[in-house]
Amino acid sequence: MSKGHGEITCAAAREQFAMLLYAELSFDEEERVESHLDGCAACRDALEREKALHAAFDQVETEPSPSLLRECREDLHARLLEEEAAPLPRQIGWWDRFIGGLTLRPVGALALVVVGFLGARLTPLLNLGNGSGAYQAMGLTEPQTSRVRYVEPVSGGRVQIVIDETRERVVSGPLDDQKIRALLLGAAKDPSDPGLRAETMGILNTRAQSADVRDVLIYALGHDQNAGVRLKAMEGLKAFAREPNVRGAFSQVLLSDLNPGLRTQAIDLLTEDANPIVDRQIMETLQELMERGEQQGYVRERSRRVLEAMHASSETY
Amino acid sequence: MPLPSGVQMDETALIRAAQDGDHAAFEQLVRAYDQSVLRLAMNLLKSREDARDVYQEAFLRVFRNLHSFRFDCSFHTWLYRIVTNLCLDHMRKRKVRKEEPTVVATAEEPFDRLNAVPEERVQGDPQRSLFSGQVRKRIKEALGELSPRERMVFELRHYQGLRLRRIGEILGTTEEAAKNCLFRATQKMRTGLGDLI
Repeated sequence: MSKGHGEITCAAAREQFAMLLYAELSFDEEERVESHLDGCAACRDALEREKALHAAFDQVETEPSPSLLRECREDLHARLLEEEAAPLPRQIGWWDRFIGGLTLRPVGALALVVVGFLGARLTPLLNLGNGSGAYQAMGLTEPQTSRVRYVEPVSGGRVQIVIDETRERVVSGPLDDQKIRALLLGAAKDPSDPGLRAETMGILNTRAQSADVRDVLIYALGHDQNAGVRLKAMEGLKAFAREPNVRGAFSQVLLSDLNPGLRTQAIDLLTEDANPIVDRQIMETLQELMERGEQQGYVRERSRRVLEAMHASSETY
Repeated sequence: MPLPSGVQMDETALIRAAQDGDHAAFEQLVRAYDQSVLRLAMNLLKSREDARDVYQEAFLRVFRNLHSFRFDCSFHTWLYRIVTNLCLDHMRKRKVRKEEPTVVATAEEPFDRLNAVPEERVQGDPQRSLFSGQVRKRIKEALGELSPRERMVFELRHYQGLRLRRIGEILGTTEEAAKNCLFRATQKMRTGLGDLI
């Protein structure tokens, strides 16, 4: 087929698929593609292939190892100390306030570099011992990254050192282990790392029969800023599409999510076997969509058909 | 990725404190963004050492020039301008040297989440595992065929999830130009991989 479905040809529609999946089409462009898709089975198949290609791209994403991140932070810290030791004319930093006088600067700089270096390099070694010193009292029994944040001479010729530490641990265990589960539920909400959240969702999806996991998936579906994470959450919830709270979450996606792919899946899941008696909420959701002039062609058409099948009006009362 | 909304409100105060020489505030800014910066560099450069260089240089430049940051754009955009410029420099040098590696070769392999997390669909099915490996290899090759700018836009949109408007801001171009660049990149990728899917 070359034309006749909407206003564009198959070739023109397919050229837009990538941008459609990235949700980067203008309102009118998306409308033209959606209209074309409504009447063209071949292009719908082609779109499915494009989605598979998109999903395949995710396979080559590289995640830096935690040790690389730690090394980078240590290197940066050392470089910043060097920078601070020789500040630019316009910069007056914490170093200046800390040292408080020019004469002490070279000595202080050397001392901090040495202490920082030793703190970062030797502290893990100290932790390997079984001594009963302060380090053990602080519970530093795991591999860690440390940096000296503050040093201060105290009485008796001793020195008090404030250490800023990042500890790194590897834990493993079955998914049903409570501690493992708690870590995963925490990682699912880590605001700084969408990749981590997506991976965590993929793992939690296999345990969606647990109410606490389902709650996390529902929260992610409704709140995560990353569409990939929301998609994974939705996958995990598919098998529970009859649960009222899951249906509520899908309805919310349908009404509010900006991602066309997610909305398409949401309406499919919600209307698979919609019943006008049981699913009054779904009916009202679809009516709301129609009433406010749903712009996504597939969603609009599907809503209309389901409402017809339910013998329901396209309007709310 | 910009700081999440709850944290975003504090970012301005954090930047101002760092501009006033508050070392802890500067460190908080670094910690807020450094994972995504390192991931971007690692994904683009596929080299532990190069990614490390970009990380160091980017945050040192931020440190040296933070006093001149005037909030004309978001801190995220400003930081990413620095990072993407550094990455583009590395990529262009590589193109000249024709040293573009498609496989990460380092003393310590990067943490590949796909390998680390067993995938139920593939696990226990050697044929599918083999296919998955072939797909990855072909995708890496296809990515290697993109120009540095195409690669950058593709990376920022697909892997970092940034909108084209922001990508345009970061790269100092228009949203439309970024869209054209992404279009070319996806066309090339489709051409290179069309027979696989």
